[in-house]
Amino acid sequence: MTTPLRELTIKKVQEGLLKGEFKALELVQTFFEHIQTRDPEIHAFLSLDQEGAAREAEAVDLKIARNEPLSPLAGIPFAIKDNILIKGLPATAASKILEDYVASYDAFVIQKLKEQNAVFLGKTNMDEFAMGASTENSAYGATKNPHDLERVPGGSSGGSAAAVAAHMAVAALGSDTGGSIRQPAAFTGTVGLKTTYGSVSRSGLIALASSLDQIGPIAKSVEDAAIIFNAIRGKDPLDATSTDGNYGEELLNPDFEKIKELKVGLPKEYFEGGLAPEIQSGIELALQKIKSLGLKTQEISLPHSKYGVSSYYIILPAEASANLARFDGVRYGSPKTEKTLRDLYFETRGHGFGSEPKRRIILGTFVLSSGYYDAYYEKAQRVRALIKNDFEQAFKNVDVILAPVTPTAAFKFGENSDPLSMYLADIFTIPANLAGIPALSLPTEKNPPAGGLPVGFQIIGKAFKEADILGLGQFYEKLTTN
Amino acid sequence: MSSPINKKVLEHLAELARIELTEKEQEKFLEELESVLGYFEELKTVDTSKVLPLSGGTSSLNIFREDSERENTNQGQGKKDFPSDEKGFLKVPPVF
Repeated sequence: MTTPLRELTIKKVQEGLLKGEFKALELVQTFFEHIQTRDPEIHAFLSLDQEGAAREAEAVDLKIARNEPLSPLAGIPFAIKDNILIKGLPATAASKILEDYVASYDAFVIQKLKEQNAVFLGKTNMDEFAMGASTENSAYGATKNPHDLERVPGGSSGGSAAAVAAHMAVAALGSDTGGSIRQPAAFTGTVGLKTTYGSVSRSGLIALASSLDQIGPIAKSVEDAAIIFNAIRGKDPLDATSTDGNYGEELLNPDFEKIKELKVGLPKEYFEGGLAPEIQSGIELALQKIKSLGLKTQEISLPHSKYGVSSYYIILPAEASANLARFDGVRYGSPKTEKTLRDLYFETRGHGFGSEPKRRIILGTFVLSSGYYDAYYEKAQRVRALIKNDFEQAFKNVDVILAPVTPTAAFKFGENSDPLSMYLADIFTIPANLAGIPALSLPTEKNPPAGGLPVGFQIIGKAFKEADILGLGQFYEKLTTN
Repeated sequence: MSSPINKKVLEHLAELARIELTEKEQEKFLEELESVLGYFEELKTVDTSKVLPLSGGTSSLNIFREDSERENTNQGQGKKDFPSDEKGFLKVPPVF
């Protein structure tokens, strides 16, 4: 294969396949060769499926040979976060408790990708049960940032982001509960989309916090993210919160003349100090470029966003403590039948969960317990309502909101070792989850300056208006690629 | 304000959550949870009297699907990963 892997976007792969520049099988083999050389130092993958990937690639080659029409994602090599189920493959969610678990069905998003003949290279590393912002919480060892091996790739979808950034996959799926797609995308110079709550089915996603979790793409370009989002979205009878939404042609083919008319909100609270110099200058650069595209900006206020971390770290552990009750050594895990049930529960959960899940289950149990429910859980839900109201007010005056993704660029391993400082890394991403609205993280520049780290910025949109943020993202990308 | 969490409360929570904690974990968690709960204190300053608790990510209500027969295609699939089974049933310790 002569085309360098780093240059391959979804459309370029399809062009290459249709023009006969390479075969789908050849492409898959090249990716596995690259993974074998590069992944030992990055550790983005927890498991690979060479056989399954080759089989799917051959099916695509056969379609091409027979001149059958190809779906937009046919033959595209994907990396899938290990909390999303692919039938017959392991799904550990990076936890010891699911070490031997093999998925017995396909997640809805996987069914959608299979219908398009997408190829799955393997399952990617993450923070255990998606709890974390660095992949340091994986029970199988951390993933490293391809831009600097001493730094984290972000998390929890750190393996997916690192796989795309190191050209070990054309695109990936991740899940975003409080920033788990956007923050690793920002740390690795990739594009990540947190989708509107309800736009993508959660069926087959190992649940963390059901009122916040959403699956979304991590890709090399905004255009790729749009193609993937359009492929995986839609109503699924197995997720009652999912809906088709009202998406039109502009999702895939944005009209840049209309994008120019969008009004960009700048939330003053998000820029009031606390930003590292590289983020500050990155955001200023992004803002300048957006203005140079002809878009108007307006200062807005989101006064309750600063309480997002507190509200989130009450709501999330509460929901997680309930969702993770099923990992009890009977339904999941390896029961030793000679034990009493009580011993089995304590031992399986005590040994099977890492520190962060234990900490969050205990915290969740506490905020839901009698005497503390009103002061913590209900209070947090009321604050969540205020945060959502702020966005609704702001969106009366603006169409999209520009914000930082993270307070700093990728940090070093062990740098945020106490839980609270790690929780604060999510301060700019959490509000979109609490409000259920979509948000895109994209690099401020195509390539970070020599020796520097990637910096991302966020475009937050109205519910079910992914077309606005993806359209503006593609418009922005035209500037950075030229 | 004194922290609402102490060793006794932590032990009770671990009991409720069915999680075995070592002595060392207890000490560490106590310290970390105190710091996190301390951070949550900021919520007390927020006036939330005019809003209702927001429990979900969607405002959709009463989403039903047709109550129809459907074929279950993955029955028994998880069995091969299960350490013990008998006559097609999964074997676990007595529940009652």
